[in-house]
Amino acid sequence: MTRAVRHIAMLTLKDLRIEARGRQTVGLVAVLAVLIVVVLGIGLSPGRGADGLSATAILWVAYLFGGVLVFERTMEVERHDDALAGLLLAPVDRGAIFAAKLLANLLLMFAIAVIVTPVAVLFFHFDLSAAPGGFAAVMLVSMVGYAAIGTLFAALTSSTRLAGGLLAMLVFPVALPLVLASTRLLHGVFEQGEALGGAGLAVLIAFDLIFLVVSWLVFEMVLEA
Amino acid sequence: MSSSLSTTIVRLYWLATLLLFAAVAWMLVFWTPREASMGDVQKIFYIHLPAAIHTFVACFVVFVGSVMYLLQRRLWWDDVASAAAKVSVLLASLVLLTGMVWGRSAWGHWWTWSPRLTFSLILWLLYVVYLVIRPSIESSQKRALISAVYGVIAFLDVPLVYLSTKLLPDIHPKEIVLTARMGTTLLAWFAPMTMLAAGLIVVSFRINRLRRTSLEEVETEFEEPRLVPAGGNA
Repeated sequence: MTRAVRHIAMLTLKDLRIEARGRQTVGLVAVLAVLIVVVLGIGLSPGRGADGLSATAILWVAYLFGGVLVFERTMEVERHDDALAGLLLAPVDRGAIFAAKLLANLLLMFAIAVIVTPVAVLFFHFDLSAAPGGFAAVMLVSMVGYAAIGTLFAALTSSTRLAGGLLAMLVFPVALPLVLASTRLLHGVFEQGEALGGAGLAVLIAFDLIFLVVSWLVFEMVLEA
Repeated sequence: MSSSLSTTIVRLYWLATLLLFAAVAWMLVFWTPREASMGDVQKIFYIHLPAAIHTFVACFVVFVGSVMYLLQRRLWWDDVASAAAKVSVLLASLVLLTGMVWGRSAWGHWWTWSPRLTFSLILWLLYVVYLVIRPSIESSQKRALISAVYGVIAFLDVPLVYLSTKLLPDIHPKEIVLTARMGTTLLAWFAPMTMLAAGLIVVSFRINRLRRTSLEEVETEFEEPRLVPAGGNA
């Protein structure tokens, strides 16, 4: 057990170190996400405050596209100089490789969310003060499920010619229940003053659990150099 | 079985399907009573419900084919899954269109973000994506693998989509009470719809197999040899 944890930590740190030294992903994706927010902000009549529903929807568009780029890039580094072949030959459980990639993806997505969320809050006068913790919790739970399917499909598509476009096509429709449940949940919290919980949160947690387990199981079958 | 005999069986099958469709259409128009509150447009329901149920059946076949491909790595299973995916998209389109026509009559809009319409739309999108990504992946092994993983994930996503659309505000009317004749018509519509769905899956599967065998010789010449698990025939 401790051995697996050590492997996961080692592999996650490897990906984060690559990012820290190259600074290729977070900066680029964060700027793209800010651009998306700006485009939508200009499109949706500037100056007008957004209600909870449209602010979360706008953030979701930024997270979805940003996420795809993150998944793609963390897998792409394994394609350079056949790094993946080396990783597969190492005496490391494939489940640990999946867990490490997932963790690295999640941490990078959080880093991007930390940059883009305040920008969206600022542009759309979105008042988070009613339940800042609830907002963070819903987005966090949603991102876990999204990162699980993203990590799995990125491993599959990274060796194809159309990697990026294909990945977005595969993960967007599958992620729609997350978008729907989280926007409804936050609408309830911010617009109707409901407490966080109920069926919406149950859908998010069920999504996370199902796709964490399935992605972990299938990842072992599909990873090939 | 000789080829002429199998051709005769296929022709008889489609003829029977056609005749059944004619019979249930007659039942629908002349024999089934009008529903009091919604009028004639309620009759679309007899097509809508069997189509919706067969969409799920076709999606389940995609799931089974995908799981079996992941376990055995035989392209035969990929052909099963992709044949069923085509039929599920076709039936889901029918469900979506009949739902929209009904919505137009009930609410005056072709589209509302009601839970059931949204659910049909996302289901349709999930399987349209399955079909459109396939041609863009060149290697047949890779195509089968990506499709299989997606086929599994998409099927597991369906209940989650259903539960999440339940969170949308609903303006759907409450349950319709069916009279005995209405119930009979509804049941009768399942017969030709089942034959249509099953027949289309088989036809589409046979086309996939024919295409595969004619391409296989060409592909083996150009594709790099790959390692496959024991028992795989690819």
